[in-house]
Amino acid sequence: MSTPAPTYESATARLEEIVRRLDSGEAGLRETLDLCQEGRGLVEFCAAELDAVAAGLQELRLDELVARLERSPTEEAS
Amino acid sequence: MSAGPASSRPSGIPGVTEPGPFPVGAYAGKLRDYLRQRARVQIFGEVWNLKASKAKVYFELRDTSGAVPCAMWRDAFDALGLPADSLADGTQVVVAGGPDYYVGGRAASPSFSFDVTGLRVAGEGDLLAQLEALRRTLAAEGLFEPQKRLARPVLPRTIGVVTGEGGKARDDVLAALHRRGWAGRLVWAFAPVQDRHAAPAITRALQDLAATGEVEVIVVARGGGSMADLFAFCDETLCRTVALLRVPVIASVGHHTDRPLIDDVAAERCSTPTHAAEAAVPLHPGRERERVGRAAGRLAHHGRRAVIDRARALAVQSAAPARHVRRERARLHQRLRELRAAATRQTDARRAGSGRFALVLDRKAASAAGPERVDRRRGLDAALAALAAHDPERTLARGYALVEDPNGPPATLVTTAEGARQAGIVRIRFADGAAHAAVDPTPEPEPDPHPDPTVPPTPGAP
Repeated sequence: MSTPAPTYESATARLEEIVRRLDSGEAGLRETLDLCQEGRGLVEFCAAELDAVAAGLQELRLDELVARLERSPTEEAS
Repeated sequence: MSAGPASSRPSGIPGVTEPGPFPVGAYAGKLRDYLRQRARVQIFGEVWNLKASKAKVYFELRDTSGAVPCAMWRDAFDALGLPADSLADGTQVVVAGGPDYYVGGRAASPSFSFDVTGLRVAGEGDLLAQLEALRRTLAAEGLFEPQKRLARPVLPRTIGVVTGEGGKARDDVLAALHRRGWAGRLVWAFAPVQDRHAAPAITRALQDLAATGEVEVIVVARGGGSMADLFAFCDETLCRTVALLRVPVIASVGHHTDRPLIDDVAAERCSTPTHAAEAAVPLHPGRERERVGRAAGRLAHHGRRAVIDRARALAVQSAAPARHVRRERARLHQRLRELRAAATRQTDARRAGSGRFALVLDRKAASAAGPERVDRRRGLDAALAALAAHDPERTLARGYALVEDPNGPPATLVTTAEGARQAGIVRIRFADGAAHAAVDPTPEPEPDPHPDPTVPPTPGAP
């Protein structure tokens, strides 16, 4: 078993691999159940990645971002 | 002019000793006249930003230390008969002429220009040669590669864009990201994109975007322009900064025919800001959602079927042993029948053999023991007759009786009178049965000394 993929690309690649393996019908029961479980984790990861870029366009200027980043450490400290 | 300049002449500035004030139009005319009196000369440099209007052709003559705006009458320019593309940006030319000043008017801007009366093409410009030299230097230092080796996120959450604040590029980037279905965080870093402040401002913007640590990819976008306009994107410091930036930079500067140096050092070059925005988000989030959805569907399908299908397969397989057993049983029965048939055949054969053997033995025995058997039979018959003669039962049949003591062991004979008296009760056995008799204990007087032993005692006598 691989640990949850760190990037969207590797996650989808592994997911496709799992689906191909399952579609081939060669996986035994134990392997099928394991693959299904691993695949569900990957789907959740990918869905979260997609949600992150679909939350709604947020536009800000560089100076605003810098100001926000400079402010946040003090907020965390207070 | 609605009013005569002289009638509305204002008073001068108090304390200022210069003559005047004069009307500006008059001064502009004097300036033009003054400039036109300057010596007419030949100068050389590179042609940049050639533009033609109906009446005049305009361009800049540049070298590394300065530039002069030039204007040439259109008919004089056309009379040169130059090929269409012979005055591309950077072309080295020699021009003849002198300074001139267009005084403008109420609705037209004044402008200074070098009035060109003659022109000769001298060769490719130094600026382009210097640009190529810088390109070779950066390439030799391996600075074209680092950006290309950076990992590119396929779904960046935060994108930085360096562009002019009022430019069309900004709208193009927004529209392209919208079409992609990308709706993450967009950080605008506005910077001048064509004057001498441009290169340092863009460099700083890039560094700041990278320094936030949140921007995953940067788009540098600028619409088309002359190569001179794009020189900011050939700046050495800017290009070295891009090359060593840890965030991938996608450049879309000028038209696709232009080749500013930033194109070489960036992770990717695109012909338009639209393409650059698409390159920044390589995956289409909407389509990806469908793809992941399909994969999830397949997983769910297999998850459900994993058990059901196997249960069915097991049910099919579970019938196999029964079939096997039936087959084996049939075969065993067949074998059994064969064995029985074989055994029957064999025992019949043996029985026939044994019968013959017994017959032979019988005959052999008869022939071997024949005469002796006859003699033995005769001896036995004689012994049997002798035995029968002595059988007490035969004696009883003849009328004798046996006296037995019923208290002793069975068949204990009482053979003396004294014995009978002592027994008290005796059992007298006749041929047809037995009877008990009591014996008088008193002794008998001396009997007849010669009794006939052959006369049986009177039946029933005590």
